[in-house]
Amino acid sequence: MKLLTRYNRVNLVTTIVVMLITGIIYYMAINLILTNKIDKDLAVEENEVFEYVKINHQLPQVFESKDLQITFTSAQPGSVARSFINTVYRRGDENEEEHEGRRRRGHHHGDEYESGRGLISSVTVGDRYYKIQIVESKVETEDLVKIIFGITLAVILLLLLVLFVTNRLILNRLWQPFHNLMKEVRLFNIADNKDIPDLKTSVDEFKELNQAIISMSSRVKSDYKDLKTFTENASHELLTPIAVINSKLDTLIQTDNFSEQQSKLLNDLYSAVSKLTRLNQSLLLLVKIENQLVGGDQLLNLRSSVEEIIVQFDEIFQDKELKVSSDLADKEIHASPYLIDILLNNLLSNAIRHNYKGGIINIKLTNEYLLIQNTGDDDTLQSEQIFTRFHKSSDSEGSGLGLTISRQICENLNFKLEYSFKPPYHTFIVEF
Amino acid sequence: MKLLIIEDEKGLRESIEEYFTEAGNICETASSYSEAMAKVNLYRYDCILLDITLPGGSGIEILKNLKENNYTDGVLIISAKNSLDERLEGLDLGADDYLVKPFHLSELRARVSAIIRRKTFDGNNLLVFKELTIDLLAKAVKVNSQVVKLTRKEYALLLYFIANKGKVVSKNAIAEHLWGDGIDMANNFDFIYSHIKNLRKKLMEAGSNDYIQAAYGMGYKFTDE
Repeated sequence: MKLLTRYNRVNLVTTIVVMLITGIIYYMAINLILTNKIDKDLAVEENEVFEYVKINHQLPQVFESKDLQITFTSAQPGSVARSFINTVYRRGDENEEEHEGRRRRGHHHGDEYESGRGLISSVTVGDRYYKIQIVESKVETEDLVKIIFGITLAVILLLLLVLFVTNRLILNRLWQPFHNLMKEVRLFNIADNKDIPDLKTSVDEFKELNQAIISMSSRVKSDYKDLKTFTENASHELLTPIAVINSKLDTLIQTDNFSEQQSKLLNDLYSAVSKLTRLNQSLLLLVKIENQLVGGDQLLNLRSSVEEIIVQFDEIFQDKELKVSSDLADKEIHASPYLIDILLNNLLSNAIRHNYKGGIINIKLTNEYLLIQNTGDDDTLQSEQIFTRFHKSSDSEGSGLGLTISRQICENLNFKLEYSFKPPYHTFIVEF
Repeated sequence: MKLLIIEDEKGLRESIEEYFTEAGNICETASSYSEAMAKVNLYRYDCILLDITLPGGSGIEILKNLKENNYTDGVLIISAKNSLDERLEGLDLGADDYLVKPFHLSELRARVSAIIRRKTFDGNNLLVFKELTIDLLAKAVKVNSQVVKLTRKEYALLLYFIANKGKVVSKNAIAEHLWGDGIDMANNFDFIYSHIKNLRKKLMEAGSNDYIQAAYGMGYKFTDE
């Protein structure tokens, strides 16, 4: 879930809840005030009745004003306590038009019932005791409350809408530095020289994040560089002792009289040393390619490079009775011939090494790709693993770095090296 | 021939010295920059084997010194650094060849022989060994006066053997010489065997003696003994 969505959700829920609560309080407050006002009206009305009785010593004429009904009923003296009640205001059917809008309030047989507020009081006229019931319709009040409520609701909705839109706009803008930073982090490559740039933002949090990422990336880079330097130095330091071993072996075989056992031991030593040498050279080469230290780029025709390498391998093809077919188009690239040589060499060596006697190798060069196919074991190789360092099949004679180097060379040239297996061919394809 | 071996690693220096020391060869050694500087300014050599990283200074400076004084000694740089730039720098400064550590002594010897041959060219481009005559420019081989047609690899193999005559040359060294270290098919020694078999057959059919001996299954020896 996006932060914005989440924030909006929380924001909306709290806004609605708070608005509802204030709405209810508002409603109750207005209701209370208006009821009080009606109660005052009722009291005034009551007073008028009292005044009238006092002056005229008789009950006033019962009249019905628009929203007010006064009824007098005789009652036992002292049986009526003065009180305000919520009651029902019954409106007669005499004025249809006026009541048109009020129908929904519920009506029975031509009479309409509206909620009303009543005052029950008593008056004594002469020696007769009357109960006064003054009822005022609350329709006006309720209409008022309704209007107020409607306006409030509209304001809430408007507020929510405005909040939603501004949040979206403002948050998107506020988070812009974050998105920029994310883009930089995603583009971050430990091997290249590009650093994470300083963001222009006035937000402290983003500044902090930016600083943390900058310092982290530079730390990671320097660690990585240290590691590479270490690999380079270690391989370099190994060269001299290997050279000594090699030369001592060369010297040793000049002495005479070796038994068969001794010469087998010496042969094994030679193979091990030569493997060690190759491994070491591969490591050094890899570091160099990763650091883009191999220069000498020039325009070269890949076709002639491929043709050359096929000639070089001819003997080995014949020895393994491999059927090699090639379909080459002219393709000019800008690259170091040295690295292209290594790339082709590695790919072709692999195609030979993992082939069987009498197998097939197809080489195809077009303007878009270089494809090298070979027959071999019927197992698919793990396409991600084979490009990692020192991944090799148990019976492989190689250093385990050939494909890593090849992929690195391709990456430096912005080519793509991919592997796929479609029986019977294992295919390596370099896409330009 | 007279050689100067400038190399600070004792083991390597001694091996090279031992490999090159034989009748007719004089080997001198230097293990530091100052010692090497003193020697190159005092004596002339047919070939100087020059290590780049030396205690007290860089082999490149020694090379510059040689060229400034117009000394014509052959220079073969032996370096642990295998970068194209270093190699080019060395060769641009006038070194004759550049060999990367680790190397086989037989390879070193073949390179040194080639340098010395070039230095003492004197309009004579013929390399003679007993009844074998090799025209280095035309890359043609004759036994007595009969021309032997050799493939490129067989020719390279013959030159390699002659440069290392009397020495046992390991199969690894031959493989690396013929195919370079780019192709790590070198462990398949069948190729070497078939090349040597063919070379031997061609030479003997042309009337040459059999100079190539197998040595304990480890390598081969080219010898007239």
